[in-house]
Amino acid sequence: MNQQLAGYAPTPVTARMENHGHTMLKVAMATGQDLYARTGSMVAYEGFIQYEPNPPAVRQIASQWITGEGTPLMKCSGDGLLYLADYGADVVVVHLNDEALSVNGTNLLAFDAHLTWGVERVKGLAKFAGQGLWNVCVRGTGWVAITSRGTPIVVDCGRGEDETYVDPDALVAWSPNLKVKGKRSFKASSLIGRGSGEAYQMAFSGQGIVVVQPSEDSTDRLRIRN
Amino acid sequence: MAREFQRGHKAKISDLTAGRDLYVGVRIAAPGLTFDISCFGLDAHEQLSDDRYFVFFNQPKSPEESIQLLGAQAGDTESFRVTLDRVPESVHKLSFTATIDGAGQMSQIGPGYIRVVAGGEEVVRYAFDGPEFTTERAVMLGDFYLKDVWRFAAVGQGFDGGLDALLRNFGGEVAEDEPADPPQGAVPAFAPPAQASPPPAFAAPPAPQAPEPPPAFGAPEPPVPAPQPQPQSIHAAPTIAAPMALVAPTGAPPAPQAPMAPQAPYAPGPPPPPAPPPPFGHVPGQGAPPAPPPFGQQPPVPFGQQPPGPPPGAPGVPQGVPQAGAGLLAALQPYKETATGQRWTSQSSQLMRADLTMGDMPVLARQGSMVMYQGKVDFGYKGAGFAGRIVGNATGQEMQLMRCTGRGQVFFAEDGSHLHPVELQGDGICVSAENVLAFDESLQYEVRRIEGHGIPGGALFTMQFHGTGTVVVKTHGTPVVLPVTPTTFADCNAVVAWSSAAQVIISSQVRLRRNAYPGHSGETVNLQFRGAPGNFIVVQPYEV
Repeated sequence: MNQQLAGYAPTPVTARMENHGHTMLKVAMATGQDLYARTGSMVAYEGFIQYEPNPPAVRQIASQWITGEGTPLMKCSGDGLLYLADYGADVVVVHLNDEALSVNGTNLLAFDAHLTWGVERVKGLAKFAGQGLWNVCVRGTGWVAITSRGTPIVVDCGRGEDETYVDPDALVAWSPNLKVKGKRSFKASSLIGRGSGEAYQMAFSGQGIVVVQPSEDSTDRLRIRN
Repeated sequence: MAREFQRGHKAKISDLTAGRDLYVGVRIAAPGLTFDISCFGLDAHEQLSDDRYFVFFNQPKSPEESIQLLGAQAGDTESFRVTLDRVPESVHKLSFTATIDGAGQMSQIGPGYIRVVAGGEEVVRYAFDGPEFTTERAVMLGDFYLKDVWRFAAVGQGFDGGLDALLRNFGGEVAEDEPADPPQGAVPAFAPPAQASPPPAFAAPPAPQAPEPPPAFGAPEPPVPAPQPQPQSIHAAPTIAAPMALVAPTGAPPAPQAPMAPQAPYAPGPPPPPAPPPPFGHVPGQGAPPAPPPFGQQPPVPFGQQPPGPPPGAPGVPQGVPQAGAGLLAALQPYKETATGQRWTSQSSQLMRADLTMGDMPVLARQGSMVMYQGKVDFGYKGAGFAGRIVGNATGQEMQLMRCTGRGQVFFAEDGSHLHPVELQGDGICVSAENVLAFDESLQYEVRRIEGHGIPGGALFTMQFHGTGTVVVKTHGTPVVLPVTPTTFADCNAVVAWSSAAQVIISSQVRLRRNAYPGHSGETVNLQFRGAPGNFIVVQPYEV
């Protein structure tokens, strides 16, 4: 029996965050190196790790994000190995090197607690996109793990002279220095039931990247509801 | 009978087959990556003492033709012919390797295998899959080696460097130019000997599909044009530490600094440090003796090679930097957009890019399937046409399309389903309407319904395409392509597409059968397919 399952044993730790397969994240935890992770994303852990849902720091920073008592983030601290996953979504591990990344709140899985982060609302669009776009902007030097429904794609905006338009439901992350604006491809024909099904897009311009997932299902399965 | 090998298994060739003229097939694939599959003929010291025995795309055979590269065939990404009796005495080992050309890592690969076929029959197969690997960029798949007699071993060992690191490991020099031999054109003179030798001695395995599958489903992956120059990665350094290099992790600079120094609490059982079954995923630096890595696989990534310079402000954390290098761009490198200069490009198995500037014609797509676009593209309404609306009105199942016009690149995806571009060149295909994602407007199409009581909704809607252009078909999960035989059945909920070669008229040849087994609800409706040889059906592992 071990023979067949042998291939799935964890590999030795080489970095703070690593992929185990495509859809699981392995984090090497150590005292003093806390981690913020999406609430409920823990699937397994080894060692002594404590979870603090609703930590005060998060409540303060994310006070706008959440309207009620719960927060979508929990603070993990302790020693050991922590395994995180989000309903089988692909996990992408990013090591920020004094850089910044703006991640859709739904697609954020975990990040180092020592990073500077803040919650911002994407201007002008929240009322169009179904769930309202809340974004977490993470900055500094450290590790971030994001999730994507399906293998994501990274597009360099600085390449073409044209703007890049993205379906808000498929958007995962982008460079915060990009200029964002909403675009409504709205025509009279849409009003009589002849729309193209693509009513709103977000337009990005400038130097930077945009990460997009091949799925338009961005329902926040773990959103804390009141 | 084929034997399944696990990593590390070995066997005498003579125990596997009496044949000495062997076909070695390698299948390895990953979205957006290309692989160089090569064979190293090594001497008794496992060195490549004669680089004429490095058989690869630029040198497709060894001098006396005992090892020949055959190219892709019969479902294999690459294949070789090895005539063991003609291998010179100086060669003691033939090592088959795969390396990634360009950026990427082995963890991205899909299920693959190396197999040995003798006399048209597969005798041994070693299957591997992406999760077995991590950041390796090259992998030694299997060996033929001479120990009294020729034997085969399933190796499956990865290397972090690319082809050049592999070459250096085998003692070859990495010249900037490829080794001396001029590239030889097509597969050299293989057919005659094959015919001459006793027929069963060497025959490529039968193609899994029927002979003439017009648009081999999923096959028309647009070829990546020019092999990108291998980026001079940081891994070009001599990274090939043997797996056991982990023995002394203490000296490795950025090794995790014993993340759990008082490692007592983790040893659950009484035997404290000496040799617990590495309790903690054998975190290096833990001080535990290097018990053999749990199941003997996964050569641990040697620590010494990590580019130094993790963040300064993080003392004492296992802050190794990813193999790809530090920083945002490096981490996201594997997911970069790939542009091939073709109209339709698979970005990954789930995302398709259509370049509207090529071909200069609009694309019709399912409404809402656009995830991103660049350039000036207009999205307009496109009805299902008059006939389609009649059909649609009858059942409320009109297909909602949009027309994408303009100049730019549009990216299509839906719900993370797998996408397959099917290029039609004058032939036809029927696709279940739910499984059409997008297609060129140059294609002619008509909506058909297959009626039969028992089909949910009363009828199965299909779109029949013919002409010249590309249809993008989506499936939930990896589909299976079956040749049509007199006894081919498919669940009407799971069938995705089938060929409509001219001599086949699907609507009259689909027979609905009701299978009512005792105890079965009797609701199952199967479609039977009939057609001339060469037709095929595509079925997804998902019943809508």
